[in-house]
Amino acid sequence: MKTAHELRPGNVIMLDGSPWVVQKTETTRSGRNAAIVKMKLKNLLQDSSTETTFKGEDKMEDIILDRLDCTYSYFADPMYVFMDAEYNQYDVEADNLGDAAAYIVDGMEEQCQVTFYEGKAISVELPTTVVREVTYTEPSARGDTSGKVMKPATIAGGATLSVADFVKTGDLIEIDTRTHEFKKRA
Amino acid sequence: MQSQTQANHWDIFCAVVDNYGDIGVTWRLAKQLAKEYGLAVNLWVDDLASFGHILPKLDPKCASQNFEGVCIKHWDTPLTQEYQPGDVLIEAFACELPPEVLDQITALHRSGNQVPVWLNLEYLSAEDWVEGCHGLPSLQRSGLKKQFYFPGFTPKTGGLICEADLLQRRQAWQDNNERQAFFETLGLSGIQTDHTVISLFSYESDSLEALCRHWQQGDNQIHLLVPIGRSLNSLGAFVDPQGPLTPGSRYSHGKLTIHLLPMTDQQGYDRLLWSSDFNIVRGEDSFLRAQWAAKPFIWHIYPQEEDYHLIKLEAFMAFYCHNLAPEIASAWKKLNIGFNQGAQETLPSLWQQVDNAHSALTQHAQNWPNEALNDADLATRLVQFVKNS
Repeated sequence: MKTAHELRPGNVIMLDGSPWVVQKTETTRSGRNAAIVKMKLKNLLQDSSTETTFKGEDKMEDIILDRLDCTYSYFADPMYVFMDAEYNQYDVEADNLGDAAAYIVDGMEEQCQVTFYEGKAISVELPTTVVREVTYTEPSARGDTSGKVMKPATIAGGATLSVADFVKTGDLIEIDTRTHEFKKRA
Repeated sequence: MQSQTQANHWDIFCAVVDNYGDIGVTWRLAKQLAKEYGLAVNLWVDDLASFGHILPKLDPKCASQNFEGVCIKHWDTPLTQEYQPGDVLIEAFACELPPEVLDQITALHRSGNQVPVWLNLEYLSAEDWVEGCHGLPSLQRSGLKKQFYFPGFTPKTGGLICEADLLQRRQAWQDNNERQAFFETLGLSGIQTDHTVISLFSYESDSLEALCRHWQQGDNQIHLLVPIGRSLNSLGAFVDPQGPLTPGSRYSHGKLTIHLLPMTDQQGYDRLLWSSDFNIVRGEDSFLRAQWAAKPFIWHIYPQEEDYHLIKLEAFMAFYCHNLAPEIASAWKKLNIGFNQGAQETLPSLWQQVDNAHSALTQHAQNWPNEALNDADLATRLVQFVKNS
């Protein structure tokens, strides 16, 4: 069992007798520190997606499907192609990557986990932390070094996120792929 | 006592967390649904003793009792009173429903019968993400569908709790200048019409002492009206912390007089807010009532980890100030942030700036309620939401 707060894109959960793959998660905070997790889920039996909301502490039955360690090879619209250690290739639909697609870049070396359902590659789970280059961010406006003042930045692959004010264009940064939050300069 | 057991009733479950907030909101909502929509409402509460602080006639030992058209039921563990599924089932503020209730509605679902519309009534927030989450289903492992209902300040959210006649009653109260007579009923003496009256209902805060020190040295006579509660834990330098802090006690320091009041029912608290020149409020319920009071206020927001509450505060202030003169908005925002951060050194000057803009802030506060409501209060939207479900 995992809590809703622990789920991330690529996980598969059982709801009402159907397997659902988590495509996207967005965690916010309600009153009294309670987390609320908004998710985009895809029903693997009906091939349909839905948006849903959970309390962060809601317990989910995550199901263990076949998984393989793979690396990203290339993008053949609309499929992302991954390859295992024996050079077998697996196509994953772009939609099924959800938020993870933001961190897929050519030449990336991180090991990803490709998940299979009835022999078909259905999702990809990234490592908890990835390191990406900041391709653009405004220079520090306030000279803040505490890490509390944030500013927007674009990373390799085109995604944007908030980073500490001291981060510069060209820096490598660590990102938490579950929360999409900047962790630190790599 | 009559229990709301007919098929078309609503059940609201409330777990009391801090005595007045959660129960304050659910009690108001239950009353409004009963009075304005003729709905049979069961309000299940796990802590009747705390509820009694805002509903003094409540008997904490009575398992089921009726007030203002609402059947109040004690939610004990295990649940000893029978739950009969109705039209709507509300878990307030993400409280965990009793297993007996979940078992019943799950059995209904599995047997193909109609189940209540199941809602999680969430906390109020002005943040952007609320619109995107309001009304979304929460898929359950059992196949049951729950939906998240988010109060909010925009038409795409669940709205704000406000009784249909509240603003008219408040306006009449203020137009008729009922405040002096009200203060007399509270046993308050020495408050003259040109004195400044501030009500205080906050959490503990170092900011209170800083403000009190400023007020005692000011030019105007200030009366601080404090219902017995957590605020007093931060006023040890101004009240007698060794003595009994009883309602009716009064402490004078220079230009500042602190009056201790009994905790009051919701109508009495509204009147206190309406009668004060400035209100310091907290959490969710009193925060909203301060807005309907149409007076300037400080919101002491519930503190969250990593200062996340400041994000919520900023989100609300952006709404509240969007058509306020920039310099006044800036002063009011800084005062609220300073209070919530315990900025003792700067609070006196921040207070002074806001005090200088009191007339403009009051005018803004009078315009705000209709703007915030966006033509429909929470109960109206909730009833419609259920109809559409």
